[in-house]
Parts: sequence; structure tokens; C-alpha cells
Amino acid sequence: MRIAAIAVAVVWTLHGQSLPVTYDRLLNADKEPGNWLMYSHTYSGWRYSALDRITTQNVKNLGVKWLFQGRSQEKFETTPLVVDGIMYLTRPENDVFALDAETGRVMWTYSYKNPQRTYNCCGNVNRGLGVLGNSLFMNTLDMHLIAIDAKSGRELWKTEMQDYTASGGYAATGAPLVVKDKVIVGMAGGEHPISGFLDAYDAATGKRLWRFNTIPQPGEANFGTWAGDSWKTGGVATWNTGSYDPESNTVYWGTSNPWPDYNGDYRAGDNLYSCSALALDPDSGKLKWHYQFTPHDTHDWDASQIPILLDAPFRDKPRKLIAWAARNGFYYLLDRNSGEFLLAKSFVRQTWVRGFDDKGRPQVIPGNDPTPEGNDQIFPGVDGAANWMSPSYSPLTKLLYVFARDERRLFTKNTVRHAAEENNAVGGRGAGAGIFGAGGNGGGRGRARFAPEESWGKVVAIDPLSGNIQWEHKVITPPWGGVMSTAGGLVFGGTQEGVVFALDARTGERLWYFLGNDRIYATPISYLANGKQYVSLAVGDVLVTWGL
Amino acid sequence: MTVPDAQQGAALFQTHCTYCHGAHGQGGRGPDLTTGQYKHGGSDASLYDTIRNGVRGTEMPAVLATDDEVRKMVAFVKTLGALPPGEKPPGDADAGKLIFEGKGACRTCHAIGRDGGSLGPDLSDVGRRRDIQYLEESLLKPEADVPIRYRSIQVITKSGQTIAGIRLNEDDVSVQLRDEQDNLRSFLKENLREIRHDKPSLMPAYGARLSKKEIDDVVSYLSSLRGVQ
Repeated sequence: MRIAAIAVAVVWTLHGQSLPVTYDRLLNADKEPGNWLMYSHTYSGWRYSALDRITTQNVKNLGVKWLFQGRSQEKFETTPLVVDGIMYLTRPENDVFALDAETGRVMWTYSYKNPQRTYNCCGNVNRGLGVLGNSLFMNTLDMHLIAIDAKSGRELWKTEMQDYTASGGYAATGAPLVVKDKVIVGMAGGEHPISGFLDAYDAATGKRLWRFNTIPQPGEANFGTWAGDSWKTGGVATWNTGSYDPESNTVYWGTSNPWPDYNGDYRAGDNLYSCSALALDPDSGKLKWHYQFTPHDTHDWDASQIPILLDAPFRDKPRKLIAWAARNGFYYLLDRNSGEFLLAKSFVRQTWVRGFDDKGRPQVIPGNDPTPEGNDQIFPGVDGAANWMSPSYSPLTKLLYVFARDERRLFTKNTVRHAAEENNAVGGRGAGAGIFGAGGNGGGRGRARFAPEESWGKVVAIDPLSGNIQWEHKVITPPWGGVMSTAGGLVFGGTQEGVVFALDARTGERLWYFLGNDRIYATPISYLANGKQYVSLAVGDVLVTWGL
Repeated sequence: MTVPDAQQGAALFQTHCTYCHGAHGQGGRGPDLTTGQYKHGGSDASLYDTIRNGVRGTEMPAVLATDDEVRKMVAFVKTLGALPPGEKPPGDADAGKLIFEGKGACRTCHAIGRDGGSLGPDLSDVGRRRDIQYLEESLLKPEADVPIRYRSIQVITKSGQTIAGIRLNEDDVSVQLRDEQDNLRSFLKENLREIRHDKPSLMPAYGARLSKKEIDDVVSYLSSLRGVQ
């Protein structure tokens, strides 16, 4: 592997190949381990770096090489791209920087100004870029998709995806996924009475090519899983990034919660396609199959995780698989050609499921619904067992790594009437999504129920074919960052206290740490610059890059 | 601001604010609003501005509501930080002050104004924030509700030494605490045998140290502490 990595690096350097990033290069991104060409590194969603110069033996010598000062108070959730020695990253809200990946020196800056008021639920964040040809693609908080020239930072085109003020507010925060000549982009807004979709745009012109409505419309298959008119305001956003299987030509993408989040009274039914994995034809936007992890969700356990695509024998038969550690506390294995449910197993403490039927429908335990006075006996918590933070799959260990949140929280049912029932209410008014009280800072005049030692985070190494947990590395606080595995036998990630760690991918033992002392809301990458391997991760408002 | 304003504000608060600030304003993803202290200003104008425009650089968004609705939310939020009037303290506040400063030795750990220790919460305005029943319970059963910041922690070093205090900070590598002698201490976890959280409060239960009347007097004194208005 090391020889292969060096050979690839030499080839790129000798040929001076940088831009353009062709679709063929994206298809073969695994053969360019020195680069990071898309959000999850490859279409398979693995976030696995085949670089092996930083190893379990020498990681103890890892040191900071450079810093990029973000100078932003927003959460810094970015995954940078690296193309042959140049790093491209988004910095909140929607600024783009091109840096020398060896020194961190800025080469150009693109600045996008959002309106004063935007409608993102959870911070003015952005998670990254897509690249094709000489163009970078970024979606914005005010619902635009922008193409930027990767050499100059000049804006090439800008397309409005949707009126960002409509229906209580839309936003876009995820990294676009480039497939063929299309840019596939999701949207956020599931905390408002919006109607979700996934879009594809022509990478050359910005023209919209298709839109898939995440809530079936009248006349479409699966219409009628929402009581009354609740489908019109049912939420179901697509706010993270998907994965892609070129062989079957299928894009896989997770959907968010139904609206209102914590009150299902006005939307009886399964509420398709909320909290689901979707399999779509990227040429047409047509749905191939769906699997709903959480029917009629009332806990905001959306399925906005990165799908992991695997080929492996399962029950003595070679299978095309999709592995999914979901926000609802269960790890799932599905057949990715049919959507068939194969297994589910919890990877954190959970209180809401007794078992699954043959189709993978959860058998729900009563008493786990939010209540007006608050229900604090529910695991997982409102931020879920997994969230948007990337998992990682290593083909070396054949393990799936998930940085999980193991906690319970207070769920309170929103007592406000559904906005759809109020006159003229669906314009942003009555957009209260629900209620939750968090642990961590006590209960004010009430009771401090959740001591820090009652909830924690953990990197879990899951055998994807059985769902069994091989090891756990516990941290003191439920995390908001993801993990990356490498061919050096390591798993990198960072905690809410800013402890950046490298674990032994086989045992979970922590082999190295760096004390960043600020919260980490991002997932690491690794790349080569001038022949040396680096690891980058945003810590607080600083992008830190380490090397040997 | 009128009472009906605050009542309407309560309904609006349910809609717009509880997602982050909790069902009763006790905090969650957003700050606790029941302390009567607001980082971005507690005046009507400041609260109005915070709700109307959000706080740039934080997760606090501009709230989608009419100006009149924002004013009603301000009225309601102000009720969260103040106890309802009319509770009559049970004892003699002056006598309670003497016990607080003398026999009770409360100042060892609690500050009022600039004087006092920092092992327990600052009590300068505790009468505005806590009702009679809560204050009494805090004296008799201090472990019933310990703010996270004042939870006690015990670390046991590999050499067998035990140090108790309140946790100031912690990550996966180290823990920082204020020990019982008010020293700032830090320990690498690799040098510790154990960290214990099983005794949540450092405060003694006063039921065994003070008479019922003395407890009532201290409660009355605490209830009289209203801080700087």
C-alpha cells in the first residue's frame, strides 16, 4: 500500500496534474489517496484514507504543522477538499478559501454574503464543497447553489434553489455530491413547516435538472401516509450528503424528521419518506427504493447520516450492502440493490424498540413518546445516537467506526397547535418545532437530572456484517465530530473538549492526542502535500493540520 | 407590560423559544433564562433586540414574530427571572444573617457580594432566583439539586492520596478542580487511580447543626438577598 501511495503521488507530481478533476477521477478517487476529492473521500462513503505513512508506530510523533485561523464564531463543520497540493475549504458562513496544503498560506478567497436573517435551525454552518472540472460547488444558507472557479475563486454561476424565506425557512448546509455532470444538493428546514426535496443541477450551467420531493405528492406512489393535509408541511429535509454506487447507478441519501418534530398528533401515519434511506437514479431523480428507519418519528431522529456502501458475503452469499448507524440508536444492514432489511442492532443504550419484524419495521415499546410535561426516560437523546458526523469504514480491519452519542434527554411534546390548522399560519408563524430540555447545565429551578457521568460519547467499532461491537473508546461528552480511518491502522477524531485523538483501529487504544481546548464539530481528512502525509481537522474556529 | 401581555408571551415562548431554552426557560441548547442575568442585556430594550434580531455569531436566531409578539415575549421572559411576589419568609432575616456569618460558617464556601468563598454558588441574589421551599431544602438536603458547576468530585491518585473539590473542567486527558482548601488543582488522568462522583455536594446537611428556628432564620436571610436590581 505504501508503494502504491508513493507511486500515485509521484505520478501526479510528475504530470503536474491538478485541475481539472474529471468525473473519471471522482469515480477512482480511491486511487488518489493523496487527494481528497469529495466529502467522504470516495463515493462509497467510507472516509478512509489509504495513506499509511502515519502509523500506529510513529503517530506518537505527530505534531502541528500549520493553522488556518477561521476567525468565525460559528461552528466550523467543514470537510476540506485537497486537489494536488491545494486545499479548498468553506469557512462559516459561506466563504471559500484556497490554501497551499503544505503551509496553510491563503491563495485566494471567495466571500459570499448571506442576508442578515437566514433560517437554519442549528448554526450558520457549512460542511464543504464538491468539485468537478475546474469548478467548486457550494450551497448557501439562503438556498443558492454557487459554482466557483477553483483557480481564481471567481464566481461562475449562481442558482436559487428555493425562496429561503418560504414556509418558515429553508437553508442549505451540506456538501454537494457531484455525480457525472450533475451536482446533487440537499436542503435543511425540517424544524419548519416546509416540504423537503433533493435537487440535481447541471454542473456547467447551474440549470436544475430534476427535483425529488421527499414527501410523496398527490398521484405519486406512497402518497397518503400523512393524515389530512399534514403532508404539505411535513418537513423531511435532506441536509447532509449522500453516497453513490456507479455500478448500479444509484445515489443513496438520508432524509430528516417529519414536522412538527416532537408532536405527531396532526400527522398520523408513517410520514414517508421521513427518517429514511432513499435510493435514487441520479439521471432522472426517480426513486428506486426506500427504507424507513423510524416510522412516524416524534424524536427528531432523522436519517441524515452518511451511507456506507460495502460489498461482502452475507449469510454465505455475496451481497451489495449498505451499512447505516442511525440516529435512532440502531445499526442497520440493508441490501443496497433492493432495500431489503438484513439486520439491526443497537449500538447505544436505547429504550424504544423491542425488536423488528421481517421487513425491518421496529416494534415500538409504549411510553417513549414526548409528553407535555416532559419525558426524560428516553434513550437515545434528542441529538440521537448518530447525527450528521461522518462514520468511517476501513477495508483493512473490515470494521465500521462510529463516533456515537450515548445519552438520554428530556423530550417535551409541543403543546402548540399544528400551524397547518391555523389560518394563514404556514408562513413562518407557528413554526415552533418542538421542545426539548437538555442535560449538561442542570435544570434551572427544577432538578439537575443528567450529570455528565450519565451521558457520554464513544467511538464504536462495529462488525458491519453482524452489528456486533468489537471495541469501544469512551469519551466524557457526546460528540459532534466524526471519524476517519487510515491505512496506517488509525482512527482519528476529536471531542467536545477539543481532544483530538488517534486510536489503534484494531483495539481502540488511544495512541496519540492533541489538546485543542475548543469544541470540535468536524471530521478529519488526510492528504499528501509535497510527498508528506497530513491530517487536518477544524478545532474551534481553527483548522489544524498535523504531520510527522 | 401587563399581565395579559406576559400570558400571551408565555404561549409565544412555547412556540419560538422552548426548542433551545427548555419548556420552562431552564436552558438546554440555549442559556438558562431563569437566573435573572442575561449576557446580552436584561433591559426591555436589550431583550427585545436579542429576540428581534438574534445574536450574531451564536445559535440564537432572529425570531419570526411581529414586533408586538416580541414585546410580549420580553414580558414573559422577564417573569422567568423573578419569583412571584407574596411569599412570606418564615423567620428573622437579621438573626439568619448572624448564623450565616457565624455558627453556620456559610461564607467559607458562599459569596455574597465580594466576600466569601467560591466552593459553592454565589448567593448575592439567591432570594430573587429561589423560592422559600427551595432554600429550605438546600439547607436540609443539599444534595437534592446541585448545579452542575458545583458538583463535587473526588480524585484518588495512584499513590493513594484523595483530593475532594468541585470540578472546574474536565476532558478525556485531565481534570481540573477547586479543592476544599480553595486551591486550583489539575490532574492528568494517567496519574489517577479513580475519579468518583458519588457524593454530589460538598455542603453539609444543616438539619443536624441548626435548630428548626435557626433554619427558618437563615432561609429568611437568604430570601432577602436580591442582588443589584
